[in-house]
Amino acid sequence: MKNVISVSGITKTYNPKTIPVHALQGVDLEIEQGEFTALVGPSGSGKTTLLNIIGGLDEATEGTVIINDQDITKLSDGQLIQFRKEHIGFVFQAYNLIPVLTAKENVEFVMLLQGRSQAERNKRVNELMAAVGLSDKMNNRPSQLSGGQQQRVAVARALAPKPTFILADEPTANLDSKSTANLLDMMAELNKQENITFVFSTHDQRVIDRARRVVTLEDGKIVSDDHRDV
Amino acid sequence: MLFKVSWRNIWRNRTRSFVVIGAIVVGVWAVIFMIAFTMGIVESYVSSAIENDISHIQVHHPKFKDEKEVKFYLNDIGTLVSNVEQQANVKVATQRTLSNGMLSTSKGARGVQIRGIDPTKEAVVTKFDKKVIEGDYFGKAKKNPIIISKRLADKMKVKIRSKVVVTFQTLEGDITTAAFRVVGLYRTQNSTFDDMNIYVQQTDLNRLLGGESIGHEIAMLIEDTEQLESTQAALKAMFPKQLVENYREISPDVNLYETQIQMSTTIIMVIVMLALVFGIINTMLMAVLERVRELGMLMAVGMRRLQVFSMIMLETIFLGLIGAPIGLLVGYLTVVYFGKNGINLSAYSSGMQKFGIEEIVYPALESGVYFQLAAAVVITAILGALYPAWKAIRLKPVEAIHKI
Repeated sequence: MKNVISVSGITKTYNPKTIPVHALQGVDLEIEQGEFTALVGPSGSGKTTLLNIIGGLDEATEGTVIINDQDITKLSDGQLIQFRKEHIGFVFQAYNLIPVLTAKENVEFVMLLQGRSQAERNKRVNELMAAVGLSDKMNNRPSQLSGGQQQRVAVARALAPKPTFILADEPTANLDSKSTANLLDMMAELNKQENITFVFSTHDQRVIDRARRVVTLEDGKIVSDDHRDV
Repeated sequence: MLFKVSWRNIWRNRTRSFVVIGAIVVGVWAVIFMIAFTMGIVESYVSSAIENDISHIQVHHPKFKDEKEVKFYLNDIGTLVSNVEQQANVKVATQRTLSNGMLSTSKGARGVQIRGIDPTKEAVVTKFDKKVIEGDYFGKAKKNPIIISKRLADKMKVKIRSKVVVTFQTLEGDITTAAFRVVGLYRTQNSTFDDMNIYVQQTDLNRLLGGESIGHEIAMLIEDTEQLESTQAALKAMFPKQLVENYREISPDVNLYETQIQMSTTIIMVIVMLALVFGIINTMLMAVLERVRELGMLMAVGMRRLQVFSMIMLETIFLGLIGAPIGLLVGYLTVVYFGKNGINLSAYSSGMQKFGIEEIVYPALESGVYFQLAAAVVITAILGALYPAWKAIRLKPVEAIHKI
């Protein structure tokens, strides 16, 4: 399988000139197309920092991040925005939907930024809203949806631009058990059916149990990397 | 989509948006009303000066303006007036003989300007007959009739039919004294003018001065004030040796008022717009700061900084585009209403009359000011949005997303 993410020698030091905090200390990681990976570890272990660096939201102090054969650490700010738009889907802990837009419009939003045609957008939105089981909630605003439903819309939004992979930062942290199970079922299905690569950072044992690969970080270092059959 | 998001964003917090829109409406209305009111006062002052005293254009001997001596007169003034009235755009013209002198009664004496007028023409040019509030105009034949102001009459304890003595210099330079009979009392809206001017018939004054066909002033009203300068130019060509001036040149204070209004209009506009700028900055900054996480997400998923910047700018411009037309409409209706019915300032009239301003002020505003104001609001909205928008694009997505 082809590597979609290749992280090599990543370090990240916050406050290097005052009180340095070494969030990541030489992390190497490769993730292949279609993997369902959970980054786990205690608070402060560096999993969110690693996720942000892979997503091009944060800069590494040292090292390289190669996504689809492109070293994103060498991209300018503008190129990074473009790169994120084309290649990376984000799912955030707090859903972060745009409250003034409907579910459909939220999903459509990134495709609009990409300049996709109306017909293409409509087709894709309908597919995705069906895939996340919210076809009947298209015209609801986020405030009219439950937390689980909002997170499903967020997943649909992340998938809309057909990204290379999805990064999900604690996606189940605000969900109850039932919503979590539904969300994980849906993501596992998308992963299996469409071979979409998912990378989670999580504390949630329910997510860890469903992951086919679990990468554990402690004090900014990878301490274990388990591949499993789920 | 950017328009849609921006438009919906402004209704996220309706109360706050309505406060900003309300501030814009009140600000625009206040500017319109204040400018219109000030213009109404200036109009009142200018029209009062034109109607009571100076008319639109005057012709004098070139030295009369500076030295005010009776010897600097216009000869054969009746013919000159006839010629003036033949000129295009001249509505009506009258002639005056002017002399400085002393008005004396048993109670005292005061320095005055004696205005020898043609009663018929003066009634047309300055409607002076309408300002006579007691007694008669010069209609009934009496020897040496005189009309003085009510204010002056009260100060000098003079009544209708009282005899007063007027002393002045003749064309020969001799001092002469003549007795006049008070036939009427007048009042204009300008109390200073009233204190200083007494009216006699030109024929009487000319006889006493020693020059039957002389006069010092030709005053005229014109049909179209837009053509003031071209009419003045034509008259200058007609009287190359005389001094032909329009009302702004004759009375620099009128010109000063008109210039002043433009300056104060700008100052008022700038002050109100500055207040609006700070209001908008405050509101939009709040709108940005409470959406930090959302803005971070937008940038994370691929929204360029320019698009985020434009979104904030659009939100502010929308607020301006809602508030400004309402403010303009309310302002316009206020000006139309008070322009028709006037604002009664009789409580302050004694002070105002000293400056030649009438008791009832009719606010007026040129249409150009509305356009200037509309542009000013849009510019204000843009200026007010700059800092919050800049603040928004300075956010780092990675920090903004995790902001609580």
